[in-house]
Amino acid sequence: MIAVLALVAGVVLGIVLHPTVPPALQPYLPIAVVAALDAVSGGVRAKLDGIFDDKQFVVSFIANVVVAALIVYLGDQLGVGGQLSTGVVVVLGVRIFGNVAAIRRHLFRA
Amino acid sequence: MTSPESGGERRTFTPDFLTELFRNPLDPGYADAAARKARGEGPAGALKRTLAGITALTLAALGFLLAIAYQQTVADAPEATKARDTLIEQVQKRRSETDGLQARADQLGDDVSQLREAELGGAAVARLRDLEAQTGLAPVRGSGARVTIGDGPTPINPVTGNRSTEARVRDSDLQLAANALWAAGAEAIAVNGQRLTATSTIRQAGEAILVDFQPVTTPYTLEAIGPGDLAEAFHDGYAGKFFRELVSRYGMSFEAKSAKGMTLDAATELKLRVTVVATPPPASGSPSPGSGSSEPTSSPSKGGR
Repeated sequence: MIAVLALVAGVVLGIVLHPTVPPALQPYLPIAVVAALDAVSGGVRAKLDGIFDDKQFVVSFIANVVVAALIVYLGDQLGVGGQLSTGVVVVLGVRIFGNVAAIRRHLFRA
Repeated sequence: MTSPESGGERRTFTPDFLTELFRNPLDPGYADAAARKARGEGPAGALKRTLAGITALTLAALGFLLAIAYQQTVADAPEATKARDTLIEQVQKRRSETDGLQARADQLGDDVSQLREAELGGAAVARLRDLEAQTGLAPVRGSGARVTIGDGPTPINPVTGNRSTEARVRDSDLQLAANALWAAGAEAIAVNGQRLTATSTIRQAGEAILVDFQPVTTPYTLEAIGPGDLAEAFHDGYAGKFFRELVSRYGMSFEAKSAKGMTLDAATELKLRVTVVATPPPASGSPSPGSGSSEPTSSPSKGGR
């Protein structure tokens, strides 16, 4: 419940403040979102599995976002930014998909 | 974070990362934490509440991230369209400005000629009119020839995907046609409605042909006012031969017909600002003995090359 409220508060804050993203950070935004979604799907699944852990969630969220951004940054510097972004999206996408499938099994028993 | 003694049999690192990823997408850290909790090693009391607060903060940060990412995407998407729309708007605005200025120039030109008529005598005005008609500054009406040249088929090469452009009408073709018409005695020529003057240019710019910097497209119609046999002279002359050759070789279209009652508009602007008499004028004082004078002046149609 608190989690949902916090999420909504964050969204409202983002809409109200309407911050402008510096152009240098713009390429990392989509990747950061995907990484964050991965952390969230993992957290929700763990919650449903009954093994949710605050520390694990926070650390995985921050680490995911930072590492994903770092990989893309590194790729940009090496000239393979597009390919590395694809790799990050594939790996995180697979995890999101697997976790969402587990959540689905929990919710619908199917 | 991984405690090697906890569930050692479950934490076998498979060499195949992707298989592991597909089989068990959940971060193994959760299982470890759960195992620690089961053994009573997990955080308790104030620390637990702090961690819950941090989780809430993280989720708030996540919501924030989602919100700004969404806004960014929405703002980004129409960026390209916006730039294009702005350009189109600018082009249209400039075009209407040009039209307005042109209308004003035409009106001022009319005023000037009216004033001139009022100030000068009838004979001088008549001479001026003749000169204007010859130089392309006044609209003229009469009969002559209408020459139509069109692009041939431009098939796309199935291998390279490039469009073959060799059957396209080139600027040199139009230059040749215009020069041949002048040579055949034409007194006034217009290409697709663009009146040619002594300083007109016919040039290629990429795929477009510009006549006095106005783009013209296929089929190109050259209307020329001149002697009655202008069309025949053109058709039987070297230009006619040249274009018939183009027709048979590239499938371009070519037609030269006599036409009556054509009206050729005045040229938009004569870019001639300063003129110097090259040779002393003859004693009669008439600088242009009829249409013959306009024949050699058509050569600047190659100007700018």
